[in-house]
Amino acid sequence: MHRRTVVQRGAWAVLLWPFLFTKCIPLDCQDCPSISQEKLLDRVIQHAELIYRVSEESCTLFEEMFVPFPLRLQRNQAGYACITKALPIPSSKSEIQQISDQWLLQSVLLLVQSWIEPLVYLQTTLDRYDDAPELLLNKTKWLSGKLLSLEQGVLVLITKVLNEGMVSTSYTEQAIFQYDMQLDMLESIIKDYTLFNCFKKDAHKIETFLKLLKCRQTDKYNCA
Amino acid sequence: MFLHIPTKEVKPYELSLNTSHGTSLLKLACLCLYRKKQRGAKMKEMGLLLLFFSVACGKVTGLGPPGKPTLTNCRSPEKETFTCWWKPGPDGGLPTTYALYYLKDNSETVYECPDYHTAGRNSCFFNKNETSVWVNYNITVVATNKMGRTFSDPVDVDVAYIVQPHTPENVTVNVMEDEGWPFLRVSWESPHKADIRSGWITLVYELRSKMEGEEEWEEHFPGQQKTFNIFSVRSGSSYLVQVRCRPDHGFWSEWSPTTKTKVPKFFLGRSLWILILVFSILVVLILAWIIYMNCHSLKHSILPPVPGPKIKGFDHQRLKNGSYKDGLGALMIPEYPPSSSSNDDDLLVEYLEVFVTGEQDISMEEGKEIQDHYCKSESSTCDSDSGHGSCDSHTLLIDKCKETSKDELNSNCEDASEIIELEISQNNQDEKTLSYDGRPDTCNGRVKTWPSVFTPLPQYTLSAIPQKSSLEIVKQHCLSDTLFPPGSMSSNLVNQNESFGPSYWEFSLNSKQLPQIHSQSSKHLQAYSDINISKKDNEITTLFKSTQYVEVKNVNNKDMVLLQPVESGSQSHAEGCPHVHQGKDYSKVKGVNSDKMLLLESGVNVMGQETATCFCDKSETNHKHPPMQTVLPVQEEQKPFAANGYVDTATMFSVPM
Repeated sequence: MHRRTVVQRGAWAVLLWPFLFTKCIPLDCQDCPSISQEKLLDRVIQHAELIYRVSEESCTLFEEMFVPFPLRLQRNQAGYACITKALPIPSSKSEIQQISDQWLLQSVLLLVQSWIEPLVYLQTTLDRYDDAPELLLNKTKWLSGKLLSLEQGVLVLITKVLNEGMVSTSYTEQAIFQYDMQLDMLESIIKDYTLFNCFKKDAHKIETFLKLLKCRQTDKYNCA
Repeated sequence: MFLHIPTKEVKPYELSLNTSHGTSLLKLACLCLYRKKQRGAKMKEMGLLLLFFSVACGKVTGLGPPGKPTLTNCRSPEKETFTCWWKPGPDGGLPTTYALYYLKDNSETVYECPDYHTAGRNSCFFNKNETSVWVNYNITVVATNKMGRTFSDPVDVDVAYIVQPHTPENVTVNVMEDEGWPFLRVSWESPHKADIRSGWITLVYELRSKMEGEEEWEEHFPGQQKTFNIFSVRSGSSYLVQVRCRPDHGFWSEWSPTTKTKVPKFFLGRSLWILILVFSILVVLILAWIIYMNCHSLKHSILPPVPGPKIKGFDHQRLKNGSYKDGLGALMIPEYPPSSSSNDDDLLVEYLEVFVTGEQDISMEEGKEIQDHYCKSESSTCDSDSGHGSCDSHTLLIDKCKETSKDELNSNCEDASEIIELEISQNNQDEKTLSYDGRPDTCNGRVKTWPSVFTPLPQYTLSAIPQKSSLEIVKQHCLSDTLFPPGSMSSNLVNQNESFGPSYWEFSLNSKQLPQIHSQSSKHLQAYSDINISKKDNEITTLFKSTQYVEVKNVNNKDMVLLQPVESGSQSHAEGCPHVHQGKDYSKVKGVNSDKMLLLESGVNVMGQETATCFCDKSETNHKHPPMQTVLPVQEEQKPFAANGYVDTATMFSVPM
């Protein structure tokens, strides 16, 4: 078993090695045209809004297609809590008002980075279903791509806003996503459903954080 | 289940029945009990029934644990606080308390609602400190009374998804103008509690409007804007507007209170005024053009022209010109016909002056001056126009009395100033007839013809009347009566019983009118006319007591010279020759010879022919054809023609006709 997990982790490492680089290597571009911080922030916010909308649509699609009626209302099933639950992310407005800009951005980055892998996983699991609609598959694929773009944008934003270098994330501290292929259909459905819901929620978090950040950047003293 | 219970014997029970089941149970139990009582049932059965009854009654009276409450909804107005409401279950008859407990995000800690009163009855209010967004709340309501407690079904709540904002505030509608066209500008504010400025919440708005009196609303989506323009607005009507909002993920708010506004009437735009102006100008232009086109007829209809005096045969134009010597002068032909002194002459010199106008036609025109000379001088036998002075001597036989009284004027006579063109076609070498109307008409006094005797009169020269070189006038001179005794004349007459010599027809034309004559080639036309004077000598004498003139009316299209005798009224009457002119005294033109001489033959008797109608048209080639008395063919004959235009009458007679 231990050997198997090592193999799995290695496989994941091999699969995701570009992301490791992107996390470690600062995005310095000597010849690239620079973009203003406000425009960058706007674009990042647009990305986040779009991601949230598409994630909401995907969740609804999956729910209608696969989830039986009795299970629909209970979003958080036992055992399948949101993967980002353990992350130190503010969850109320009062909390958010107390944290700094840097920490806000870091929270965003954490969220984004933690969802890259599960989205890839979602694509693979959807292929296992017999009658998964094409639209759902396309949306999921689109989501994972957009999330990567969002991550890059946030990284650049951090560099601009904070004038700091790359902050090493506690990526390794997080448990690697459990990639279990031996679930029966119902469990798999419940798990995937939970994933969709959690991702939708986190996408909304990301969008809200970024908007709050924008207010802080533009008008520091009037933001609540 | 419906039971019929007699009212007399059933005592009413005051029960608070909540369910139909309880009601039916109660009724059934009571009935059974009553009947059993009546029948005297056994005690055992009574006990059971009593137990059953008590249970049923116990249910009805609510003595028991409380009913199950239900959570109706939870709402957050700004994603910072939220409130949950529940509906209490059926009361167990005992005072019941309700409590709300919740779990956060699958943790095991159970919390109770912090605030039961702020949001009203049966509600729980979570303030800012206790509200966590993106956190799953598991909420349960518990109803408790003495008998027991009842739990409601748990409900999962995530604050981010239960946001329902308040309605937008300060909805204002203003009527504005865009290039003359009115439109409504609607503006509003977000609900005061929603924190949009910081970006914590993002609201989208929806607007609906309708005209007062309509049933259906017209919906618009301004998005995240706070203003909106409504353009499809009619003047003079009032509009109702409502606005509501919704977070990007959440519930729609309630519609704002209706805002009413009225668009003032006659809000005509500038462009509309311009359109009206252009259209009216166009209409005015069209009317003006129509009036201009029908100007004449309009003028006639509104101001009819004053009819001028119109007397047929009366040349009022000459009156205006003052060419008449006196007022009555217009009615008189002063020198026409010749004087009575010539009446005694047996022979009348008749002159026929013919103007030849070229190859095609010979048109002879008479103008006013001809009129002056001829039309008026009816009484005189002298052709004053001839200018030869030979008119006084009349040797010809034919007298033509001319009557130039007004009565004689033919009704067909047109304006005297008209010019008659006498055309003799030269192309036709065949018989050319010279015709004339026997009716004398002063107004037509184009040509006066006098019967003339064909005599060589060296003293008579052809007068070059035409001013144009191309025209020549062949003139027959009046022959003195004395020169030619009737008898000698008659011997030369070809025709039978002609006692008169050839007579000359003289077409005297006004030289002044010659320019109007077609000048194509100069031709000479000699007209010889044999005048049939009379068969009877006595008639001759009588006939020729007065000079009779033949005037050429015109030349018809058949190349015939139309002649008409001109009557001299007074003389004819006096001398008894009114009828003479009616036919007997004319010369027949045989034809035009090769030398373009008009050959007249005598002896044509036109007895009984009445006076031809005078026609005074000035038609050139197309003549109106009044009835012609005689048609005198113009025959071409070899005629000696002097170089100077002189006519050798002697030779003429020698030529057989």
